[in-house]
Amino acid sequence: MKPLALFAFLVLVPSPAYSSEMVEVPAGEFEMGNNADRYALPKKTLRLGAFSIDRFEVTNKEFQQQFSNHSFWKGSGAHPVTNITWDQAKTYCEQVGKRLPTEEEWEKSARGTDARLYPWGNEPLHKKPHPFYSGIIKRKVGLNKKDTSPYGVRDMAGSVWEWTESGKNGEKVARGGLWNHHLDYEYGKTFDRNLIAPSERFIFLGFRCAKSEN
Amino acid sequence: MRQIGKLTRRIFLQGGLATVALLLWNGFRGPTKAWAADPFSGTDFVGKTREGKHSSFYINFWKPMRRINPETWTLKISGLCETSKTFTLGELRALPMRSQSSRLKCVECWSARAEWGGFSPKELEPMVRPHASAQGVVFHCGDEYKEYLPLEALHQDRVLLAHTMNGAPLSDAHGFPLRLIAPAKYGYKNPKAILEMEYVDEQQVGTWSKIGPYSPDGTILPGWDHPLEYGKEARRIPGGEITY
Repeated sequence: MKPLALFAFLVLVPSPAYSSEMVEVPAGEFEMGNNADRYALPKKTLRLGAFSIDRFEVTNKEFQQQFSNHSFWKGSGAHPVTNITWDQAKTYCEQVGKRLPTEEEWEKSARGTDARLYPWGNEPLHKKPHPFYSGIIKRKVGLNKKDTSPYGVRDMAGSVWEWTESGKNGEKVARGGLWNHHLDYEYGKTFDRNLIAPSERFIFLGFRCAKSEN
Repeated sequence: MRQIGKLTRRIFLQGGLATVALLLWNGFRGPTKAWAADPFSGTDFVGKTREGKHSSFYINFWKPMRRINPETWTLKISGLCETSKTFTLGELRALPMRSQSSRLKCVECWSARAEWGGFSPKELEPMVRPHASAQGVVFHCGDEYKEYLPLEALHQDRVLLAHTMNGAPLSDAHGFPLRLIAPAKYGYKNPKAILEMEYVDEQQVGTWSKIGPYSPDGTILPGWDHPLEYGKEARRIPGGEITY
């Protein structure tokens, strides 16, 4: 694609309503955690009821539709919204009739029922997630089609980290991974997790929503 | 009369020659004593080193620079503010001081912790009155390094313009007389040996982000850290300020 055409495609094409699209994850057992990684939860088999989860992370444009004072750079409407607190993420989900996913739901959505290390399988992708750059460059959600979980959920290894409903000792669990040269997907496994104070806001931290199936 | 903070070609060459001479001298003294001190010890210059006492807290500089004279140094505040002003070190030391323990995390993976003392950048604002259009500050440093931080980042509670380290005035190597401490940002967003703070109305790209593949934002990302005081043993970090 020629540079001008690429620019027009990235900037001028209107962003679809990504977060309105949800993926159903059926009820059943899955393997959670990993005993080989001391930072992960211990391995265990869990059974979850059916739930739905956003296929994509919530974008700047979608967030602005709920919070009109949210501003973003021109051309970044389809980038994942970041620099928001846990309360803001939770409020957004509730305003659109959803909720934040639990840590367990997030992990099942990413790794399916075969305990895979990455959403696409057990091997890191050959192509580096973010070559020749140390730092975060946000891109349109869902851009990397290979970063797709067994249920079709996108950007669970790359893109940005995501708030979840779960927490411990006053902190909230964030899940996910980054596009980052230094990390090379090594810190984007399906069981990787972080604890972050809910009042914090970071450029690398966004969210997606979930919904119980009744 | 030497020029404070201005690195001329002659000074650069003099510093380079002095460094080479010191390295050669240390080499002649043999391997045991060769690295007992950093190469800048006893010289009129400071620069990047990981030797001697700095093996427990590495030193990075953009370029070797002549040590700053405390008697003639002033901090210049310029750009988009009502009152451009200069402050002496004594005036800055008289500002309400607080101290905090925080870790400096380098984008090159290492980190080290210290007790920093100084004042919030917000303390300067009533005296210089930045324009409403000011979005951030460009820091101009003695080693010709430049770095930009938005006002929002400078207003964070844990951000400090530090003039002491571990209870003593900042050493030349650690950025005497004044440096920024922004614990949620990588070291390259913590400029040292500050000469001037310039209020500007748009984001600018600092020296390190211009010459390397480094994010202008500089927030510490989730990943790994190799703290020097723990033998560089790899530790997982969640991003933002490191708390251990």
